[in-house]
Amino acid sequence: MARRPTADRLLSTEAIGRLRRAAMLSVAAGLFWPLQAMALAWGVQGWVSGADATRSLVAAAFFAGWGLLRAVVERMSARQCYAAADGVIHKLRQGVVTREALRPEGATSSAALAAMLTEKLAALGPWITRYRPAMLRAKVLPLVFIAVAASMSWPVALILLIAGPLIPLFMALVGMAAKEASAKQMVEVGALNSLLIDRIAAMPDILLLNAGAASRAAFEARADGLRARTMSVLRVAFLSSTVLELFSALGVALVAVYVGFSLLGVFHFGTWGAPLTVGEGVFLLLLAPEFFQPLRDLASAWHDRAAAEAVADEVDALTADETPAVLGQGGDAAPLPGPASVHLKGVTVRRGGAVLALPDLEVAAGESVALQGPSGVGKSTTLDLVAGLTRPETGVVEVAGQPLTDESADAWRARIAHVPQSVHVPDMTLRRFLDPHDSGTDMRRALERARAAEIVAALPEGLETRLGETGAGVSGGEARRLLLARAFLTGAEVVLADEPTADLDAATGTAITAALTELAAEGRTVIVATHDTSLAGALGRVVTLEAAP
Amino acid sequence: MIRLWRILRLLWRSEPGAMWRGAALSVVVLLMGVALLGLSGWFITATGLAGLAGIGIAFDVFRPSAGIRFLALGRAAARYGERLLTHDATLRALTRLRVRLLERLETQSFAELRRLRGAVALTRITADVDALDGVVLRLALPVAAALLAHVAAFAALWALTSHAVAMSIALGYVLGGGVVLWRLGRATLGLSSRAERAMQALRQGAIGLFRGRREAILQGTLPRWRAALDETEAEARAAMDRLDAVDTGAGLMLSVIVTLVAAGVFALSGWLVAGREIDPALAAVGVFVALALPETLLPLRRGMAEIGRMRDAADRVLVDVPEAPPEQRAMPSAPARATAALEVRHLSMTRPGWARLLVHDLGFAVAPGETLAIRGASGLGKSTLLDVLAGVLPATAGEVLLQGTPLAAWPAPPLRDTLTLVPQRSALIAGSIRENLALADPALTDADARAALETVALADALDARDGLDTQLGEGGAGLSGGQARRLVLARALLRRPAVLLLDEPTEGLDPGTAARVLAGVRAFLPRAAILTASHRSAELASADRVISLESYIPNVE
Repeated sequence: MARRPTADRLLSTEAIGRLRRAAMLSVAAGLFWPLQAMALAWGVQGWVSGADATRSLVAAAFFAGWGLLRAVVERMSARQCYAAADGVIHKLRQGVVTREALRPEGATSSAALAAMLTEKLAALGPWITRYRPAMLRAKVLPLVFIAVAASMSWPVALILLIAGPLIPLFMALVGMAAKEASAKQMVEVGALNSLLIDRIAAMPDILLLNAGAASRAAFEARADGLRARTMSVLRVAFLSSTVLELFSALGVALVAVYVGFSLLGVFHFGTWGAPLTVGEGVFLLLLAPEFFQPLRDLASAWHDRAAAEAVADEVDALTADETPAVLGQGGDAAPLPGPASVHLKGVTVRRGGAVLALPDLEVAAGESVALQGPSGVGKSTTLDLVAGLTRPETGVVEVAGQPLTDESADAWRARIAHVPQSVHVPDMTLRRFLDPHDSGTDMRRALERARAAEIVAALPEGLETRLGETGAGVSGGEARRLLLARAFLTGAEVVLADEPTADLDAATGTAITAALTELAAEGRTVIVATHDTSLAGALGRVVTLEAAP
Repeated sequence: MIRLWRILRLLWRSEPGAMWRGAALSVVVLLMGVALLGLSGWFITATGLAGLAGIGIAFDVFRPSAGIRFLALGRAAARYGERLLTHDATLRALTRLRVRLLERLETQSFAELRRLRGAVALTRITADVDALDGVVLRLALPVAAALLAHVAAFAALWALTSHAVAMSIALGYVLGGGVVLWRLGRATLGLSSRAERAMQALRQGAIGLFRGRREAILQGTLPRWRAALDETEAEARAAMDRLDAVDTGAGLMLSVIVTLVAAGVFALSGWLVAGREIDPALAAVGVFVALALPETLLPLRRGMAEIGRMRDAADRVLVDVPEAPPEQRAMPSAPARATAALEVRHLSMTRPGWARLLVHDLGFAVAPGETLAIRGASGLGKSTLLDVLAGVLPATAGEVLLQGTPLAAWPAPPLRDTLTLVPQRSALIAGSIRENLALADPALTDADARAALETVALADALDARDGLDTQLGEGGAGLSGGQARRLVLARALLRRPAVLLLDEPTEGLDPGTAARVLAGVRAFLPRAAILTASHRSAELASADRVISLESYIPNVE
């Protein structure tokens, strides 16, 4: 059978070391049980042989002593496991954030990435804390217990030996179905949640259609179908654990019956010389359930492994997305010295599987340029290249007279204002949005020049209004004007705008055109990608991009 | 906590028969497990005594050994039945809970419902419902079963062994274990909501950072955003670590209690045996039962550790449940027969949360069969106006009359039967095209559905797939933007309203299709008063009259 890669690849060396220590502690805790059982067995032997109460007291004291030690060691092991899991999850989280924060064009949605950081990576916890210790316990403890049992009575060892390996055997049969079952069950539960989400998202429409009751009835019917399917799957899953419990119960029962018959003298075989004593019998009976326990623990940890492997696959898929990172670190830097000029020479970019060649472009400092051309020719990509948001596959992007590199990108961006087609309005106050570095400059003038003063006047708390998903909304046209106001405010020497007048009514479009021409008139370098001929006409030069041969 | 209790009652009552049978089987499972070990212990000690006394031949071995086998098999069977019953009942109950949730959401305001559309809010709701499956499976059932098992074990030990042994076991486990578990539950109440809050903050922060990363990179503020996110993560980790420390600490305490109770029972039994007050074999029963009973106690830890999370989820799921059904407004008797289907008088309105008026002193009337277009630049409040006309948002001043009766006086069902609003962002549901259309009319026939689809020029595109049986994904995935828009329109047409309010109805359609769709809508509903809000020429061209909102903007000065 080919070995599938396991989720172990997610574990760091440090975590593996911790888990090894934790697993060894957990095995040690398991080894205390025979000692506890021995204490009790010795005490019971005293009962039948008529020893006085002191012997029981000593036995109880030993039992308690070993038991307390076992409890403490178990807790130490659990805390070590938790620390290992916490470390692994933290590191993976940091890795995802570090990687994805610099990949704005990555294929995974923000909500999916956030889900990965929170509940998905957290799903690794049970696997990390349970699987390896359970595995080591299952490897060591049953063998030790069998050896101990065999030293007193080989038939008991034989009963355990047969009942024990039968568990993995039956598990292999039932477990194969069960593993698939638990995977399916996850899908079903997911489907039920998607169904609920779908209905809640459509709720306003459902109410407008007076269809609340009908929609609920349909939901209930679908949910009930899902439940029926989930149950047919769970039946198989429960069967596997029932088989486990059955064997462990039968093992205990067989040991009890064998020991009882031996003590009665009905059976004369199985011991090494002297007949079985009551104490030995009690000891064997106490040992039997603990022989099965590690195997049962491992079986329940098995399901955690399947969940962890699903997460590991998702982590792999994320790192396999080869969308290149932006140039630089996105940090604060002193503005790059040199003229505010831009020069693209023989640049190609990777778009999906294909390579797109972009026409050369040269923009001198203080020039205003409109980029025109059919959709898909690379107008937006050109702006992203200038801002260092896209990495060229070949060719050179030269800014301020020098090639744009990881080292210079942050400093170059300190001189840029970029107005994208759809503006992301982060969850912060308008003041903070307009003045990200908290310079405290007066904003009135800049807002007026960007024709954005009335937007602020209309907001309930003016500049202190919180924007973004949880706050007051601004429309797309308003957001673009606010970004232009920010360009006035920060004194950016290079203004990049992507279709700033698209999808807007004429009045808003005119306001934006006026603001852009005013920025150009101040001697800033303005590059605008646009289909809008009146906006293009208002700028100094029109460059028509054509698909490069 | 009261809400948690209410959730339990809600879940239990939706499947009481199965729940009680499941609870009974849980007790049977526990008791059989305890009896198996107790009987085995008695059997070994008793046979040992008989062997020593040389009366082995007279000893009845068959009944005890048959009992042991019966308990072993019966326990496994009961366990299987219990799991099936309780899981099935819980799944059924959770479906009921989801339906209750939908029912409750229907009473929320439109603004609140639109806010809920964000993926985060929705994931949160579903996570809450999922968390509640533990209320029955990991909390109520195991606690009830454990208590009953202890009562039964106490009675059996009282009868079979000494009263002191029965008392020590009951006091040690029920009282000692109870205190530890109760303290664990209490400790996690605050901790788990702290952890949950931090985790939600991490999720929000991460979404904010990823959505805004372009902006942050351009502004050079990425490291600052990142530092804030790392801080949130550290807070979440600290809370989780604390939870684990409390949880494993409780585990340690439970192990200590189990060890001490078993040791105490052993010492006590040994003393009684030495004093010949009890038969050694019966004393062994007490010891083995003491060793088997932790099986009732230890599984409760997980449920108790989750209690904080469950309570918070219950609080959110049940929050603001209106205990009484929303007041039913009676339709004013015999509305005056009005000529206008919809009339607006001196209307002023604003956006929710805004101080400034959007529109002031607006007035117009639309007659049946007439089409009125409302134009205005984006952001002027066309969509808000349609919301006000549909009774979704309140007007600040003035009056809206629907068929001569003030809008506010209309009860919801007849209002929705008379007037249909198609908002700019309308949602479809997962399922077939037929299911989507049937939301408008449960008695929908295929012929009606086809007619509506023809009207919006969608029939051909769907015939190329599976027609009315074409399956859509979540939120109507599988249709293009323009197709989804037209399906939403077809759905509204099937309501056959007297007043139809359309917000940007032809967005995403090319001019030819847009004109065809608008003409089709009019032909489908010849007597309806139709209001469109748009800045596109197709709507303006097909209207009988056009009103420009610009004329009603209040003076800022």
